Amino acid sequence: MSVPSTSIHLSACGALTAFGDESTTLAALLDGRRALAPVPVLGADGGDPVPMALCAGRSFDETAPPGWLAPLRALTDRIPGEGWGSPRRPVFVTSSNFGVGSLHAFRRTGDAAHLAYGTPHRCVDWLAETLGWGPNVTTFSHACVSAHLGLEQASRVLAANLADEALVFSFDFLSPFVAGGFHALKILNADLPTPYQDRETGSIGLGDGAAFAVLTRDRGDMKFVAQSLHNEMHHFTANQADGSGFSACLAPLLPFTAGRRFWLKGHGTGTLEAGRLEAGVLARHFPGFPLVSWKGALGHTLGSCGLVELTIAATAIRHGRAPGTVGSSGPTFTPEVVLSPFEIGAFDSVLCTSNAFGGAHAALLLSHA
Amino acid sequence: MLERWITALHTEDPALEEPAATRDRFKSRFPRNATRRMTQLGLLVGSALEPLKLTETDTLVYASAFAETRAIEGYLDSFPSASPTLFQTSIHPSAVQQALIVHQQPVREFFPLTGGAHLPAQAIEVALLASGAGSRRVILCGGEERGTWLLENNSASDRAFAFALALSTSPDGAIGRLTLDHASDADAACVRFLLADLFDVLHARRPFDGLIAPSRRLTLSWS
Repeated sequence: MSVPSTSIHLSACGALTAFGDESTTLAALLDGRRALAPVPVLGADGGDPVPMALCAGRSFDETAPPGWLAPLRALTDRIPGEGWGSPRRPVFVTSSNFGVGSLHAFRRTGDAAHLAYGTPHRCVDWLAETLGWGPNVTTFSHACVSAHLGLEQASRVLAANLADEALVFSFDFLSPFVAGGFHALKILNADLPTPYQDRETGSIGLGDGAAFAVLTRDRGDMKFVAQSLHNEMHHFTANQADGSGFSACLAPLLPFTAGRRFWLKGHGTGTLEAGRLEAGVLARHFPGFPLVSWKGALGHTLGSCGLVELTIAATAIRHGRAPGTVGSSGPTFTPEVVLSPFEIGAFDSVLCTSNAFGGAHAALLLSHA
Repeated sequence: MLERWITALHTEDPALEEPAATRDRFKSRFPRNATRRMTQLGLLVGSALEPLKLTETDTLVYASAFAETRAIEGYLDSFPSASPTLFQTSIHPSAVQQALIVHQQPVREFFPLTGGAHLPAQAIEVALLASGAGSRRVILCGGEERGTWLLENNSASDRAFAFALALSTSPDGAIGRLTLDHASDADAACVRFLLADLFDVLHARRPFDGLIAPSRRLTLSWS
């Protein structure tokens, strides 16, 4: 069973999106701005223009070393403390794609320099060396719920007193490898995504994203009340139509939500079937509780989305105001979907959910400490 | 020190066998037409998992450094007309998902890991802490498939293998015992212990005692 995490605190967090850091991103979302813009799906090789939100100043086509290191450094320089990757200060890295764009660059150009970043462990080893981390670095890769696994395992290591603090670090930067794949699945088209909007055709956008969170047993103004995972293993690209898989993920959290007043940061990529199912299940379990998605502005930041959006949610809680579902308009799948920014001072927590390939679901409840 | 009992173990050691031969060898083990769509790693991991009869309450931990090498190779070779099937198959935990989707077998907790030098220690730690979180049983599995042009470029496994072992907090029916001690000297030299080394120890059911990562001493003993 998934574990209650009432003793695990969030002592620091930061995010990087195409807008910038988490404060800049929150401000942009509150203003209703979208970072998504049309980019040729195969970069220098052209192809259809598809909506992508890329960090400023980096090339979509891979370089060696990867050009996303520069914007990433602006984030990693803000990670507090020292000695990460030592025995009592473990790092949990989560990503879906790591440096796989470098393999595409190698296959395209034949330049062996790209191979130094192409496999997950080479990419993470390079990052760890670059950032000065020690060898205590554990890496999870489970598509778009990857970040939740890092948070769950960091919580367990702390609960078992095997660490003093734990760093969860998530990143995913776009490349023709990734964009080409989603385009081939025919869910990435020229339309900007409109999460939870009931329209004729769905679409998603993709975005660069990275984030970190420092977890402790006793420090921080927010805490993880509970976390839950579930893998329905029904189909690679579809959930069970009745929503039972997502409901099974939410079920262990229900006792912890009782009596709370919270808002929901959903997954909301912009696809129709998954969005309708997700909004419907959440409305069934939590009628009247406001639901938002930010992927219509940020794009889907893939393996990092769980932590990127958690960080923005935490920033919104400190700010007292949450962005609505940017880019969408009515009609929405359920009346719970909120399109405009709203005051959250009266809420005591936020429920964050993510969904992934293979019917993987994750959810966590974050509250004031 | 974390301690668990090994209640079941299954391994697959096809070594240099080509995927087509693996597919043919396993066609009676999976539902009709399933093997045609499964990768070699999916077949091997699926075969190792199948006797353990997973249930929804099991926690599943999966370790692979390179994962779906052949699908990645094929996907990259499909450009500029990228293959949607190979893209979705290339995703890291696809091998396990292929095996479980065939049987429509949900599992609450699934932790797919990747890594290099210390991957076995990390996967074992995740498995042992999952046991502590209240799971009735934890399944630790892993494997690799042999690459072609990625292998020529030192970016893939040079052999195929898979394993799956069931871990329990109870010694009832145990065939072995596994411990992970975190108290070891952080500065002591570690032995080289990659995922293939863990497989070799499990496959031969050899006892083992060694520092496999900084401050992580693994012991394995067999009944």
